[in-house]
Amino acid sequence: MKKFVGLFLVLAVLVIIPAVDSVFAAGDEPGEYLDRRVIIWNLFFKMMTIAFVVGAVVSGTMIWLCWRFRESHPNAKPTSYEGTDW
Amino acid sequence: MVLELQKPRPIWQIMFSTHHTDVGLLYLILSLSFLFMGGALALIIRAELFLPGAQILGDAMTFNRIFTVHGTTLIFLFILPFASAVGNYFVPIMVRYKDMAYPKLNAIAFWMIPPGAALVWLGFADFTWYAQPPYSIISAPGPAADMWIFGLKILGISSVLGAINFVVTILKCKHPDMSIGQVPLLAWSFLASSLIILVAIPTFAAALLMLLTDRLGVSGFFNPAMGGDPIAYSHLFWFTFHPEVYVLVIPAIGMMYEIIPRFSRKPIYSYNSGVFAFVLLSIVAFSSWAHHMYATGMSFTEKTVFMVGTLAAVPASAMHVFNFIATMWNGRIKFSTPMMWAVGGIALFFSAGAGGVANAAMPLDFSTHDSYWVVGHFHLFVMGTIAFGSIGYLYYMFPYVTGRMYNETLGKVHFILSFIGTILVFFTQHVLGLYGMPRRVFDYPPIPEWIIMNQIVTVGAMIIGVSMVIFLANMIYSSGKGKLADTDDPFGLGGKYYYPFEAKNPKH
Amino acid sequence: MSGHSNWPEWIYVAVVIALMCWVGAEAWNAERLVEHVPADAELIKVIAQQWFWTFEYEDGTKTIGDLYVESGKAYKFEITSKDVIHSFNIHDYVVLMDAVPGRVNTVWFAPTDVRTHDIQCREYCGLIHYNMRGTLHVEEPSS
Repeated sequence: MKKFVGLFLVLAVLVIIPAVDSVFAAGDEPGEYLDRRVIIWNLFFKMMTIAFVVGAVVSGTMIWLCWRFRESHPNAKPTSYEGTDW
Repeated sequence: MVLELQKPRPIWQIMFSTHHTDVGLLYLILSLSFLFMGGALALIIRAELFLPGAQILGDAMTFNRIFTVHGTTLIFLFILPFASAVGNYFVPIMVRYKDMAYPKLNAIAFWMIPPGAALVWLGFADFTWYAQPPYSIISAPGPAADMWIFGLKILGISSVLGAINFVVTILKCKHPDMSIGQVPLLAWSFLASSLIILVAIPTFAAALLMLLTDRLGVSGFFNPAMGGDPIAYSHLFWFTFHPEVYVLVIPAIGMMYEIIPRFSRKPIYSYNSGVFAFVLLSIVAFSSWAHHMYATGMSFTEKTVFMVGTLAAVPASAMHVFNFIATMWNGRIKFSTPMMWAVGGIALFFSAGAGGVANAAMPLDFSTHDSYWVVGHFHLFVMGTIAFGSIGYLYYMFPYVTGRMYNETLGKVHFILSFIGTILVFFTQHVLGLYGMPRRVFDYPPIPEWIIMNQIVTVGAMIIGVSMVIFLANMIYSSGKGKLADTDDPFGLGGKYYYPFEAKNPKH
Repeated sequence: MSGHSNWPEWIYVAVVIALMCWVGAEAWNAERLVEHVPADAELIKVIAQQWFWTFEYEDGTKTIGDLYVESGKAYKFEITSKDVIHSFNIHDYVVLMDAVPGRVNTVWFAPTDVRTHDIQCREYCGLIHYNMRGTLHVEEPSS
């Protein structure tokens, strides 16, 4: 197990350092200006993509739950707590 | 379970009573009255914005006063008193005590609200519920602003007194056989939100006093002309009112924790994770206040800190959603009105939370801050989550309080219309904000997209208005003339429900 | 209370936390890029008051309500207010910064499209807040 921890540490360093480097280097080229509209709206649409995917999963789950576990569903069966004092 | 004495009594006996259910009833009636009054103001706002140009209001000042009182009313005079009403009815029962810990203090806390409300409504101030200096110091007209300050002061003291009462009732007056880990989640939610109030409100109380002396000209805490810093007020204000958001939402989630298991005919999936998430939320509530102030010229570091603090609240909120979904799983769900409101509230809670994550991301603040996006976002919380949970709970406790059943069909119609209206209004407002419409505007330029979206929003608001009229009629008629309810099991769920400390089931 | 295993919830919470880390990292990175003011940005002072905007250019000229810039150049705004808090907003360029009396806030942008855009106030500032508007004129580069 210890071997793997060391391996992961090395891998992490190999990935993280270049990533941090490239992040800090961006935006420093002379003459060319960044377009803040592009940066901000890109971020916005990326986040909305995730939000709508997660939202579809959550609300899809809820709609399915409401459909499947409703009282009038043909397969609905009493829960083990019904009729007891709980 | 019967929450109210069923035999008729003269009204003054209820008014001068200190019994927890009587005070609860007073809170309930007061908060619902202000729900309708604040809602009426919202409809005026929406009617005004239906088209560019002045519609029904003559001038911008009236409009500014209306949205100020709308916000103040619904937060301080509907949501908070409604939570207190539910707490008064249920917390003593849940901790098995005969009353609140300090009955007289309880009545005093309630009776401080009407004078506070009168000051807010008679003054009709115009500086938004946020009272941002220097506008509120050098520009806001007349006694209205001072009356608002005094009104809020009184309302703040009232909620501190109420919070002390809840904390003591839950921690010191619970039955000795119960451990704190057996207190039902609704009572836990009141414990968490009351503790937040106790920590958060004093800051705002201080800020209000400083605002008042600034207005009187004897100090200059927030007045740049006298060397003060208006941003200091923002910090003090949001240090109270960001946690206050959790004060509002935590009891609503607690109410859903009562409704969802009951109507799923199944105990809550994980009591422990519910408690854990409440405690976690009430701590991280204090780590995010300055995300309201990214645009005031904060440094990159400050913004990063508060973004991380804001995102930290997400896992705890997500645990609640998980708990609700897992509780409904494998249940046999009866979709009575309270359950429909609770499920709708959870769905909208997710949407509001996702919008909140987008708000917290620092650069997006440039496009969303102070636009209609923000209006849509927080209304999804206060209307979509808090009001939905609260109204659902009101339907749920209605038979226990009045001994009569509300009209189920009208309740469902109320829910469906409100749900459609809420989606139309607040989702559209998000998009409107992305198109750049600023909030708190009396009028807007005739940009075609803005006009169309404003009209959709207004139509949605009117749908909610209609549903609320149905609600009011249902409540008034059913409390006097409704079918008598079986107070052991008014919703026909089968089996007797006990609070967890009495549970016979070894697993839960 | 305990007694059933809760691993689905732990996985779920881990996913949520991972998502939030991603959101935070992306936002941090974008903010860093947006806040990095180019060294050769031209300075424009923006002074807000109830209820109009005054722009003061590097050469000392002033305009009221109309802001003139050239496409292809970078501009840095130094924003302040004379009375109450306003918020300087060019929505088409996602420029937004509060004008706070007693403080100078900066924000920069580099216009590209030759056309006019709306400038508006986005923080409530009183009676005519709704009409505290201006126009941004992006012109062809002069040289």
